[in-house]
Amino acid sequence: MDFPGSLRPTVFMTGPLGLSDVPDMSFMCSWRDALTLPESLPQNSENGVPHVAKGLLWEPETPGPLPLLPPGPDPWHPGLTAQDLLFRGGHPFQKQPRVVLDVTEQLSRFLWDHGDIAFAPLGKLMLENFKLEGARSRSKKKTVVSVKRLLQDLDGHQPWGCPWAYLSYRQRRFSILGGPILGKSVANLLGDLLHEELVTRWEQLLLDDAFTGGALAWVPGKTPRVGQLVYPAGSTLDKLYFQEVSLTPGGNPQVLRDPGHIQLRGPVRQVVTRTVQGESLLAVRSDYHCALWKISRQGRPAPLQVLQVEKGATGISLSPHLPGELAVCSRSGAICLWTPQDGLRRVYKDPDTLVFRDPSPWRWADFTAHPRVLTVGDRTGVKIVDTQGPPGCGLLLFRGGAEASCQKGERVLLTQYLGEGSPESLHSTLHLICTQFSLYLVDERLPLVPMLKWNHGLPSAPLLARLLPPPGPGCPRPLLLGGQDGQLQLLHITGEEASTPRLAGPPQSLPSRNDSLSAFPVLEPKSQWRLQERLKAPTIGLAAAIPPSASTPILSLFQLSAAGDVFHQCLRLQADPGPDSCAPTVSWSPQATACCSQWLKALLEVPPAPPVWAAPTFSHRRLLGCVEQREVEGKVPEGLRAAMAEGRLLQQRDLGSLPTAEPPPAPEPGPDDELSKRLEAAWEGRAAAWWERRQGWSSGPRQQPKRHKRRTQLSSTFSSLSGRLELSDATSPPPSPDPEARPRPPGTPPSQELAQEHWARGVPSERQQTLRDYMAKLPLREDPLEDASAPPSQTSSIRATRSRQRTLQDNTAKPPLQMDTPEGVSVPPSQTSSIWATRSRQRTLQDNTAKPPLQRDTPEGAFVPSSQTSSIQATPSRQQTPVLSGSQRIRKKPRMGF
Amino acid sequence: MTLSRFLSRRQFCLLPPPPHRPQALFILGMSDFSEELIKSTTEDDQGERCELSGTGMHFPWLQKHIETVATGGKKEKDFAQTTSACLSFIQEALLKHQWQQAAEYMHSYLQVLEDSDSCKRQAAPEIIWKLGSEILYYHPKSNVEAFNTFADRMKNIGVMNYLKISLQHALYLLHHGMLEDANRNLSQAETWRYGEKSSSQEVLINLIQAYKGLLQYYAWSKKKMELSQLDKDDYAYNTASQNMLDHSWKTSVNLGALIQIPGVWDPFVKGYVEMLEFYGDQDGAREVLTNYAYDEKFPSNPNAHIYLYNFLKREKAPREKLISVLKILYQIVPSHKLMLEFHRLLRKSEKEEHHKLGLEVLFGVLDFAGCTKNITAWKYLAKYLRQTLMGSHLAWVQEEWSSRKNWWPGFHFSYFWAKSDWKEDKALACEKALVAGVLSGKGCRYFRYISKQDHQVFRKKIKRMKKLVKKYSIVNPGL
Repeated sequence: MDFPGSLRPTVFMTGPLGLSDVPDMSFMCSWRDALTLPESLPQNSENGVPHVAKGLLWEPETPGPLPLLPPGPDPWHPGLTAQDLLFRGGHPFQKQPRVVLDVTEQLSRFLWDHGDIAFAPLGKLMLENFKLEGARSRSKKKTVVSVKRLLQDLDGHQPWGCPWAYLSYRQRRFSILGGPILGKSVANLLGDLLHEELVTRWEQLLLDDAFTGGALAWVPGKTPRVGQLVYPAGSTLDKLYFQEVSLTPGGNPQVLRDPGHIQLRGPVRQVVTRTVQGESLLAVRSDYHCALWKISRQGRPAPLQVLQVEKGATGISLSPHLPGELAVCSRSGAICLWTPQDGLRRVYKDPDTLVFRDPSPWRWADFTAHPRVLTVGDRTGVKIVDTQGPPGCGLLLFRGGAEASCQKGERVLLTQYLGEGSPESLHSTLHLICTQFSLYLVDERLPLVPMLKWNHGLPSAPLLARLLPPPGPGCPRPLLLGGQDGQLQLLHITGEEASTPRLAGPPQSLPSRNDSLSAFPVLEPKSQWRLQERLKAPTIGLAAAIPPSASTPILSLFQLSAAGDVFHQCLRLQADPGPDSCAPTVSWSPQATACCSQWLKALLEVPPAPPVWAAPTFSHRRLLGCVEQREVEGKVPEGLRAAMAEGRLLQQRDLGSLPTAEPPPAPEPGPDDELSKRLEAAWEGRAAAWWERRQGWSSGPRQQPKRHKRRTQLSSTFSSLSGRLELSDATSPPPSPDPEARPRPPGTPPSQELAQEHWARGVPSERQQTLRDYMAKLPLREDPLEDASAPPSQTSSIRATRSRQRTLQDNTAKPPLQMDTPEGVSVPPSQTSSIWATRSRQRTLQDNTAKPPLQRDTPEGAFVPSSQTSSIQATPSRQQTPVLSGSQRIRKKPRMGF
Repeated sequence: MTLSRFLSRRQFCLLPPPPHRPQALFILGMSDFSEELIKSTTEDDQGERCELSGTGMHFPWLQKHIETVATGGKKEKDFAQTTSACLSFIQEALLKHQWQQAAEYMHSYLQVLEDSDSCKRQAAPEIIWKLGSEILYYHPKSNVEAFNTFADRMKNIGVMNYLKISLQHALYLLHHGMLEDANRNLSQAETWRYGEKSSSQEVLINLIQAYKGLLQYYAWSKKKMELSQLDKDDYAYNTASQNMLDHSWKTSVNLGALIQIPGVWDPFVKGYVEMLEFYGDQDGAREVLTNYAYDEKFPSNPNAHIYLYNFLKREKAPREKLISVLKILYQIVPSHKLMLEFHRLLRKSEKEEHHKLGLEVLFGVLDFAGCTKNITAWKYLAKYLRQTLMGSHLAWVQEEWSSRKNWWPGFHFSYFWAKSDWKEDKALACEKALVAGVLSGKGCRYFRYISKQDHQVFRKKIKRMKKLVKKYSIVNPGL
């Protein structure tokens, strides 16, 4: 091979990145690269030297790429954004906004939504510091807090983050008492993990290197016009599709028959293909696996080998020299060479980075002009390693430092061997190295000194690059560079064997998928937003083919988005447009717009991504949601719903017909009346007075005998129990919750009922349930049935939904005093199960009958015998959905994996 | 038209202080210097802002993410907003090759020179020069005069860019064949001084001087050519040679300084050595070349060794010397075409170790993907293998082969290559088949395929090949 006889003059300085004293060679522009020195004899250069075809331009045929394949059936969600991770508050005194990860918000949201998980273990530990329900405070110790009072103070209806939240002295005492434990331990344990997770997510958002190299490959077929596109699709990118495509002479690709696919066990991150000695091979990298296929002449893939990479694979490359040989890099810093003869062989291992310390575990390996020499790259540099030499030795090919006039903070994002292995290729010793700022071409025969440096200025990480064969004899080779956010650039690389590689003409940008938006019909905002999101999806694959053509060369460009969409664009080479012709503007053809609208139609038929669960912030939302779920016919729920939705006053006539509508009339005025009164009072701003009155009215012990009576009645007439009875019962307490939900304080005699009712009084009903739930988790509980009925993983969710629904029930209509008495306490253990059974049946019935709207009872998963669990598990989930959609967030807030 | 407007606007708004008014220059210099200091501090500050704690990596797209979140903070001023928008428009237009449009935007972008933010004002000239020169270089209606005007004005905005722009301007002129203008430019730049000489300034001044030297070298070699056409007894000959002597002296001053600095200085070294050689300063030339090739501070430039080798060859240096130079080149670039010459030298050498190295070199050349079809190399290898085996140095061959036997058959001697080589280059196929047969036996697919071919021209050759393989194959036929 010939080496360029005279290289471009360059200063060579050793030193760290961003050395300010080096005359920065990147100060040079693209035209600077086009300059040539006249060779020793000046006569040669007398005649102007138009070395560079100034008007070299690949002109796009359409203003943007077009969808090639219909959208996949799976919904796609764009994932986290900066808004989800960063603190959104203003910094009025800072000149520049700073990046602050919002751990607090995520943490408090977690505590709010999953308080049971966060605090239950602590609660167990702090049990003796709480005076639970019913337990008479015998000790006057200051370290014992009455739970009832506390919850009373918290006052149920407290919007999240409400700045006017009232703090009572009890709360203060509690926070002083519990603060050191509650505040710190959860924050300490969780905060660090959460922060770590947020940092990872944020780093991933800034640079997601999983798709480095690209997951779209063009496998040439039998004829040069036919080939296969290989790409992953599906919501998790775990299906590898093989789509046969034929390129028409006009440049438009035609999809031949339906794609075949292979289902894999993990997401596909990189797809590499090479045709070596007539044999087409396909290598695929997933997070922890790599696989190799051989593509037969008919285009059928035949699996060759699967490798498992325990620490996670970061890169895979196929040898351009030897069929079936590949290099795999792992996060541990090991590079392995796999050959059909020798199997897997580790050729390099270094957990540290090459030039300076960088925390990224990203490694990359590629081949060189010598089949037994590899390049090994990380964020700081690239090294040439002889696989046959002693381990660990090698020569730095590229150094992140002053040698290449790197900027401060510059890191290698992609390295690629540009040779194809065939001796015809002119650049068999060239390597492409991309950083976030620049692109370097390095010749492996002259390490450390880039032959070409160009500041690409892409606004996203350039993780994709493809060097294509020259479109015609004497033409420069197109080098495609793709940014993660879809920006594409095309560079014309020229340079015969005996001269240095140069840019022939200024680089050009190609349209991105975003530019195709104008080809789609205008939609209503929600769909438009969805379309935009879809078009904005990160580009994770790039492939191109130059079909042979008689007239002007054509370049077919395919790109794959993270949503699994394959887009196509056709470019035509304008070799030398006249001096006056500026870049012509192209417009959408009717076929193109038709194609787009067809695609769009298919896209809109795909159901939107299932929303990530988000806790409603205000309690009335829960109310609204639950109301909506109930399949109770009637005017009342509708009226209420309408009223709530409109935010208007709920009037008697909205609900008034209810008691009469429900046959037979209840013996006492239904709770709906109570509700309406309360609501009326509330709307009139006299809620507190009403409440006091109500409390005063109901707190007396006068209903106790009745209640006893009713209960006996209840159990005796169980067999004939119907909704009506239930209804009649509803004025006084609804069937009380089960015994096990409420722990029996040790040593509490059964006769403590009264005291327990006392416990119930005054505590805001929402909090009562919370307390009950919380106590349900205490070790005191003996609850064989629940554990048997629901798998442990599901219990909490069941409980969570239940508690929400309970909240609703409790919140609204019940006279606080008459609430759930712990009857279970009085029942001997032997009878418990039968009581449960009855009760659960009651519940079911109760659920099914027409009931006063807001006084719903709920399926209580935890209390139900095993036979019913499944149906109940199903119910909450069904019921939950409308709540979510009802929360009316346009953008579902993805949660941090909780 | 836009272009001329663009330029007239430049004149209107830039109004650089004329360089011949030293006082004005000084004042400008002072203010710019203080801005320089400001810039260096704010740059660091920005650096910290842009990187994520821990990794140290800079993300050019970080700002974009922050902007989607930041609600507070100081808003950018309208002026800054418009200029940055304008800048992105220019860049976009450039990438779309819309030179006309880019020039129009550039016209508006010049207002950035009046930015109240000193940091931005400081960075502006460089950006303007970069983009402006690019527009002028590619603009269909642009010409050298327009470029010159622009460059001359840009040089004098701010002090830090004078040298860089001068250099690039000179290169532009050089590229367009305007050597005299380039020379004038470089001479001007050479004498320019500002403040204390920083090391980057020094390097730039050295570069400028070296390019000036290169221009003088061009002139010199032109004269040399004229001289060679003159008669030695002519009166004109004397004056011309005197002239050349002057040039040489100047040039050596100009070139000598730069090539001491580590770097890739191929054209300068080449010219300098040629001149030194012409005047009989062989020692000087050798010193320059040796230093260029062996100084450890320099990158390992294959050309440095090639120049030294060529020089020694011209000097008729002993073979031993040539071999030692090429040995180093062999270590850097084993695939270089000089390696075949190296092999010939080694073959001719008397030393046994050189003979062994000769075999190694041939194998080394053929290891590379770019050399697989080099028929000379295959021919040499076939011949030399036979020679080596005849000389009963089987161990040498086995040593070379042992590290290659697991991949050469797939790399060189596959069925695919047998077929395609036979189709494309039958002579090459025959040479390769011989080597294949010798190295991996008669069972080798490549050998089998070629030996089965029937071709009247190559029939004799193939027959001979079969005989040689039978005789010399290092693979034991019994196995």
